[in-house]
Amino acid sequence: MFAFSEKRPEIPSDVRAKLQPVTLARNKLIALSSPWSDMVPRGGLRRGTTVVVNARPGTGGLSLALSLLSGPSANGHWSGVIGVDDPGVVAAHELGLDLRRVLFIPRPRGAWVETAGDLMDGVDLLLVRPPSKASHGAARKIMDRVRERGTVLIALCDANATWPLPADVSFDITQSQWKASSKLEARHLTLRVSGRGEVQRSGEHVVLLPNSHGQAEAS
Amino acid sequence: MERLLAIWIEELSVEASDGSTLRTIISLIDALQIICPFTEVIRLGLFVLPIRGPSRFYGGDEGVLNAVAQCVREVSGFTPSLGVGEGLFCAEVAAKQQLVLALGASEIFRSSLPLEYLERKDLATTCHRLGIHTIGAFAGLEAARVGERFNKHALLLHAVARGQLTELPGQRDVKLGQRLREERGEGPALDEQTGFFGQRGASDQRAEAAAHRVRRRLGVDAVLSASLQGGRSPEDRATLMPWGSPETRSTPDAPWPGVIGAPSPATTFSEPVGVQLRNCDDESVAVLSRGLLNADPSSLVFSSAARRQIVWFAGPWPVLERWWQTGRKRAHLQVLLEGGEALLLSAEKNRWWLVGIYD
Repeated sequence: MFAFSEKRPEIPSDVRAKLQPVTLARNKLIALSSPWSDMVPRGGLRRGTTVVVNARPGTGGLSLALSLLSGPSANGHWSGVIGVDDPGVVAAHELGLDLRRVLFIPRPRGAWVETAGDLMDGVDLLLVRPPSKASHGAARKIMDRVRERGTVLIALCDANATWPLPADVSFDITQSQWKASSKLEARHLTLRVSGRGEVQRSGEHVVLLPNSHGQAEAS
Repeated sequence: MERLLAIWIEELSVEASDGSTLRTIISLIDALQIICPFTEVIRLGLFVLPIRGPSRFYGGDEGVLNAVAQCVREVSGFTPSLGVGEGLFCAEVAAKQQLVLALGASEIFRSSLPLEYLERKDLATTCHRLGIHTIGAFAGLEAARVGERFNKHALLLHAVARGQLTELPGQRDVKLGQRLREERGEGPALDEQTGFFGQRGASDQRAEAAAHRVRRRLGVDAVLSASLQGGRSPEDRATLMPWGSPETRSTPDAPWPGVIGAPSPATTFSEPVGVQLRNCDDESVAVLSRGLLNADPSSLVFSSAARRQIVWFAGPWPVLERWWQTGRKRAHLQVLLEGGEALLLSAEKNRWWLVGIYD
C-alpha cells in the first residue's frame, strides 16, 4: 500500500545515485575455468542454477563434473561431492581442485536428498550423483532449495537415467575417444551444451579431458 | 610378535621437578634413533626398539646391546638395564631382569611368570586362592570364565597372558609423545586450515557447520576430506580420511621414480575389485618374473562373469618397491575396452585387480 501512497517520501537524488542492489550481479556469478567459461554466458554460473551432466558410465562424465568444480575451488569456493563412491583424489588434484575445500560424502546411504539439503548452506557448489534415476519430487525439492540458497548444483546422471526436470545448463557427452601411444595420453570428448537462455554458444564442442597433464583443455 | 629390545633406566622413571627428565629423554631418543630409527619412548624411563634390523647390522644381539648400553652411558650417564623379548610386555619384564630371550622363548618365559606381573592385585589374590599362580595357568582359563568373575580390564590382561595382546593396558604413556613435542618447542599439530593472516573466513565456518550437520545424520565417518601423499600409483597417493581428523604432514611433490603419471583415473577404488585377464585362447594372462606378460590380453572377465573385449593395452609397468620382500611384486596395466572405457589394472600376488576407471 505504501508503495502506491501519495504521501510516499521522495528519495533525494544524491542518495538515489548511491543506492545499490543488495547483491551485485557479479557476486551472484561463480566463475568457471577454461574451457567451460567459453560455453556459458559471462564465463560463469549464476548462483542458484542447476547444471546436468549426462554421460554413459566410463565416458568421462565424472571428469567433466569434477572439472567444472576446479575453477571455483581454486578461487576459494567450497564444494561438496555426494554419491561418488570412490573419487579419484589424484585425478581431482590434476584437474585443479583445491582438495582442502572439498567435502566428500561417498555413500549417503539412500539419504542423498537430505544430505544435499544439509550441505547446501555450507558449500557454494554441490556435485551430486544420484544412486539411480532421481524421482521427480526429489529433483524438484533439490532445485528449489538450490535456487533459494544460491548454491550451484551439478547433477551427474547416467544417460539412461537422466535428470527428470529441465536444467539451466546441460552437458551431454556424445562421444569419447582416447588417444594413446605407449600409454593413455588424452581423451577427446564431444559434448553438446544446451540450456534455457543460459548458454552462450550452444552446440557441439570438443574438449580434451583429461589431457596429458590430467587437465581440461579446449581442443 | 616382534622381538623388541627394551631399555629400562630406573633414574628416568620418576620425573624430576626441574624438568631435566624430559630433556634427558629427548637427547637420549635422538642418540638411540641413530642406532635404530624406530626407537620409541613408551613411558618415562622405558625405551623400546625392534632388534631384528640392528641385530643384523651389528652382527648379533650382543653387538646391539653393547652399542645401546654405551650410547646410554655416554648421553645420560646412567647405566641401563637391557632385555630382549617378544612383545612389549615380555620385553619390559626381560629388561628389568636383564634377560635376553632367544627367538621363541618368550612364550615359555611369559607362562612361567608369577601373576603379580600383570599388575593387578585383586586378580592375583583371587587366583592364588584358586591355585592359579602363574600367567601360563591364568592363560589356560577360558576367557568367558574370566569375564564372569572379573571386569573388562581383566579380559585385556587375559589376552596379554595368552599372547593375543602384546602390551598391558596402561603400560604406554599416551601423553608422553605430546609432552616431548612441546618440550622440543614443536607445539601441537595444527589440524585445521587457516586462511589469510591465520583466521578462518565465514565460508570456512559455514562449510564446517554443514559438515557437522551431515555427520549427525550419517555418522562420523560419512564426510571425508582428501589429501595427497607420496607414492607411485593413484591408489597409493590418495588419502581419504574422515573429515576433521588431524592433517598428516606429507610431501606429495617429492620425486617418486616410476610414478604412474597423469592422467589419473577419476574413479579410484578404495577396495580393488578382483578381475581376470584372458588371452585370445581364454587362458589366464600373468606377469612373468621379468615384468613382461606371457600373452597379449584380449578379454576381461569380472566376477559377475561379465566379459568385455580389450581393444588396446599398455604396460605392464612393474612397480619396483620393497624388492627385498619377494612377496610384494606389483605391475600396472592400462586397458581400453571395446565400448571406449579405459581402466587401470594392477597385478599383485598373481591376481588382477581393477584399480581405477578413467571415468
